[in-house]
Amino acid sequence: MLANRPFHHVLALLAAVLLVAATSAFADDPKSSGAQEQALLDVLRSDAPADEKAMTCKKLAIDGSSASVADLAKLLSDPQLASWARIALEVIPGEAADEALLAATDELDGKLLVGTINSIGVRRYAGAATKLTSRLQDSDAEVVSAAAVALGLIGNADAGKSLRQALAAAPANVRTAIAEGCVLCAERFLAEGNADDAIVMYDEVRQANVSDQRILEATRGAILARNQEGLPLLLEQFQSPQKAMFQLALGTAREFPGDKIDQALATEVANAAPERAALIIQAMADRPQTVVLTAIMNAAEKGDRQVRVSAIDALKRVGNESCLDALLEIAVSSDAELAQSAKETLAILPGEKVDLQIVSLLPKAERKSYPLLIELVGQRRIDAVPELLKAVEDADQGIRHAALIALGETVSLKRLSVLVSQVTAPKHADDAAVAQQALKTASIRMPDREACAAELTLAVKQSPATAKSNLLEILSEVGGTTALQSLASAAKSNDPELQDTASRLLGKWNGVDAAPVLLDLATTAPSEKYQVRALRGYIGLARKFAMPEPERAEMCRSAIAVTNKPAEQQLVLDVLQLHPSPPSLKLAIEAMQRPALKEQATQAALVIAQKLSSKGVDVSGQLTQAGFAKVKLEIVKALYGAGSQQRDVTDVLQKQAGDLPLISLASENYNTSFGGDPAPGSVKQLKVEYRINGKAAEATFAENALIVFPIPK
Amino acid sequence: MSNTNTRVPRRRFLKAAVATASTAVLAPTIIPSSALGRDGAVAPSERIVIGGIGIGRRGTYDLGCFLEQKDVQFVAICDVKEKQRVAVKKMADEKYGNDHCAMYSDFRELLDRSDIDGVLIATGPNWHATAAMAAARAGKDMYCEKPVTKNIAQSLVLAETMRRTGRVFQAGTQRRNLPHFAFACELARTGKLGKLKKVYAHPAGMQALMSGWLVPEPQPDKDVVDWDMYLGPAAWRPYNARLLDGFNFEKGGGFVGAFKGGGVLEWGSHCVDLCQWAVGDCPPPVEYNAPKDGQLVARYENGTELIFRETGWIPLGSCPVRFEGETGWVEAGDSGKMVLSSPELLAGRKVAEIGGYPATYHVRDFLDCVKTRSQPKGNADAACNAHIACHAANIALHLDRQVKYDNTTHQFIDDEQANRMRSEALREPWRV
Repeated sequence: MLANRPFHHVLALLAAVLLVAATSAFADDPKSSGAQEQALLDVLRSDAPADEKAMTCKKLAIDGSSASVADLAKLLSDPQLASWARIALEVIPGEAADEALLAATDELDGKLLVGTINSIGVRRYAGAATKLTSRLQDSDAEVVSAAAVALGLIGNADAGKSLRQALAAAPANVRTAIAEGCVLCAERFLAEGNADDAIVMYDEVRQANVSDQRILEATRGAILARNQEGLPLLLEQFQSPQKAMFQLALGTAREFPGDKIDQALATEVANAAPERAALIIQAMADRPQTVVLTAIMNAAEKGDRQVRVSAIDALKRVGNESCLDALLEIAVSSDAELAQSAKETLAILPGEKVDLQIVSLLPKAERKSYPLLIELVGQRRIDAVPELLKAVEDADQGIRHAALIALGETVSLKRLSVLVSQVTAPKHADDAAVAQQALKTASIRMPDREACAAELTLAVKQSPATAKSNLLEILSEVGGTTALQSLASAAKSNDPELQDTASRLLGKWNGVDAAPVLLDLATTAPSEKYQVRALRGYIGLARKFAMPEPERAEMCRSAIAVTNKPAEQQLVLDVLQLHPSPPSLKLAIEAMQRPALKEQATQAALVIAQKLSSKGVDVSGQLTQAGFAKVKLEIVKALYGAGSQQRDVTDVLQKQAGDLPLISLASENYNTSFGGDPAPGSVKQLKVEYRINGKAAEATFAENALIVFPIPK
Repeated sequence: MSNTNTRVPRRRFLKAAVATASTAVLAPTIIPSSALGRDGAVAPSERIVIGGIGIGRRGTYDLGCFLEQKDVQFVAICDVKEKQRVAVKKMADEKYGNDHCAMYSDFRELLDRSDIDGVLIATGPNWHATAAMAAARAGKDMYCEKPVTKNIAQSLVLAETMRRTGRVFQAGTQRRNLPHFAFACELARTGKLGKLKKVYAHPAGMQALMSGWLVPEPQPDKDVVDWDMYLGPAAWRPYNARLLDGFNFEKGGGFVGAFKGGGVLEWGSHCVDLCQWAVGDCPPPVEYNAPKDGQLVARYENGTELIFRETGWIPLGSCPVRFEGETGWVEAGDSGKMVLSSPELLAGRKVAEIGGYPATYHVRDFLDCVKTRSQPKGNADAACNAHIACHAANIALHLDRQVKYDNTTHQFIDDEQANRMRSEALREPWRV
């Protein structure tokens, strides 16, 4: 985050920005690219249509040299092409472009003049200062504004002098615009190390009768340009009755260099009205390197509630162990809102010694703060297992549960057994659910998941029947080879409950490593129900995960081989269509040989073929080999759109019609393929009248759907 | 010489507006609500008065997020399309139970209103930077949809303008305020993954868009579609209804010969932005290579690689990012889920799974910063760096060769062609 913006950074980036705008920073005028540039100029000099000339201007922005300037400059008076010409003129290096733009200002007026002046400003052409100065007197306010900004961007001594004079004498309708030029110029002065002249300009704008925003900008500049001497001016804004000035102070305080401002803010927060003090505290906390922490602590402990909440929140960023006692006290106080704020801050309170202090407080903690300290052990992941194990034995259920939760968040693999025993043999029945959640939390964060799974697998074997399923659930969350094998064993066990739990968990396993296990269970699971469940899980893996397409097709082939059920076979065909590839097409064609699957497999093969051919894959050989008879496809009429907004796309489809009952468009997006959106914002359809082998039919396709024509019967 | 002083009337005021009561739903926030004085009913004088500029499909969603906030009063809509003006007014008026939402077709009139504190800018990307900087100069804070800028120079001027004017700027990079993305970036930024080696972004189509000059069509009445204002800073071209898709108009750099796509800016302004956050919002990469095998590899000054990658993602939804360090990695996407190299990286923390990239939290972050004057997560400096990375990648794509960028001078090193592509003149009378 860039909450605090150091002043030097402001200057550095400002300088860099101006460098970007400075065409003088371009490299030397490159040699014309010769023939290429000449060809572009020939277009500009010809009777070519305007669109062609426009694109030529864009090309000259990259390839043009000073040799192109004169022809481009001729377009500056053309309302249609002036903006295109300036795209090139603004970036072509060298004085020719500068002079051409400047010369054009003598001939132009209105918007075209404004645009040309804007380009001069972007190029920061110092030679334009005199003419731009005269434009500060123009009768067109927009011209005055453009000239003032251009002079501000040029930002040299002459420009500054002109702008100051103009500001002093400007009529009301352009004064704010000229002030913008002044601020830009002052920023330039400051970036170049000329703080004195910058301050003069900022102060003149501050004193001028210009818009509030200009005064804000000038005030900010006046404060920062003065460096430490700007502190009184900054503090003055904190006292301002104007909300905008107070807000400016909040922002500028974050940028102000040094640490004197921090002490000053501490004083301000003590004296300000609560609603302002709360905001000042947030600004203080955005200066973590130099913040006066005691001031925020004082505000957190007593006083106005709004200020206290703000201060407690600020301690999340700038607090340390010195704040611990006070925050603990607030966190167990009767004020629920303050207590909650304090708890949230305590959970992430910075400071290396905070954790040690929390552990040291545990043995002597009062009952009301004991659960909170345990909770903090968990939230902050403090290693305090002995203390937590003691708390797990407490008579108070709330403390026991807090301790179990904290154990879940902190226990290591070595001590995982303490939670396992709480799950398999809880001393208090109402602790079991909390213990299970804690064990799950602990298990899934273990870095060595195989070791963790081994521990849990052992626990499954040794635990009573009631706990086995719970442990299997946790094993599935842990994942890995060991967990997978344990679940596979459970799925084939003699216990119906374990069969059910394990097959369900395997069915939603989130990794292709489960594929062999699921395929095996698809034929060997103890009941048909679990076999189907396993097969669906297997097909789901092929559908969901990234893998080489031959591998996916092979998985699909295996799935079809082990089932005769239409629903599962259709799922396989869906996967093939979702991931079209030559192997998937091959498998779909093979599936056409199964009588029960022929119709769906044929449709799938055509869809895959269509998708592949739209990507440029030649599938004609495969289709012919598969016995797809060539057809004579004729498009009679095709309309695309919605309601009365229809576009005739017959021509487009006719051009794409081949000897298969499908059409591949140039793009999957109908709007792109059919030359635009005929009905923006509406649901569109493509309606086609066609003939296949002389038989007429009609078909309707949803927007962007694949175009595969049913064979007329 | 032609006389083209045909300035748009600045005072085409369509309907007056007066702010009244609102209702809202509480939303998560960073700073406790009571610290900012919004825990109970918010007095009208303390509400943040918002206007909308260019509210289309995405903007309507954003506006819904604003209207949920009880300390917001939405009072005005500006849109060059009458249909949109009316639709947004209806939405606001139904919310407040009155007919006070004012309508404008020239955003300068809206910006002239002294009662408006901030604006929601959700025009097409063609207008984003120009409107944002005009808003800043008019003293408004702003939530501005992305892509924010059209080129490198605009990115830099945007950041400088927000600094100079002291305005609060929030780019519409709402993933910075979603817990799982924030957590993933924190892991990378704070060294939990070890020394960071690679950050991956999914640009979803590495091409640069330029909308071109289409066949002229009859221009609608100005009150129905103000074509001149729609074009705004884009170079002139005749009216064609196909160009009215503001979401895609002039998005993505617009280099000659690349009249397609726009992916790097469209998605890069999100996923590259997250990568930037992961590397600590440092200056953008200094080297961008030509794309190869569906990847464009850029390199930061410290050697960390920023990789624009089309494929190879764990299926975690759109806008995936991946951060790889010497000791671990994390990948996250719009499903709200993330995958970690080790669960230990969670360190006991519970990260909420919020899928679908809602903007509510991002809007709240913006509104809180309007009050505190702190920097929101999608601040102008952050947006500037992320957009420069996207623009520079676009330039490497267009030139199909390596380009090297100097973050001090903000120029490509010894590269005249690339340097000329850093900026583009705006159509008169617009400027940034």
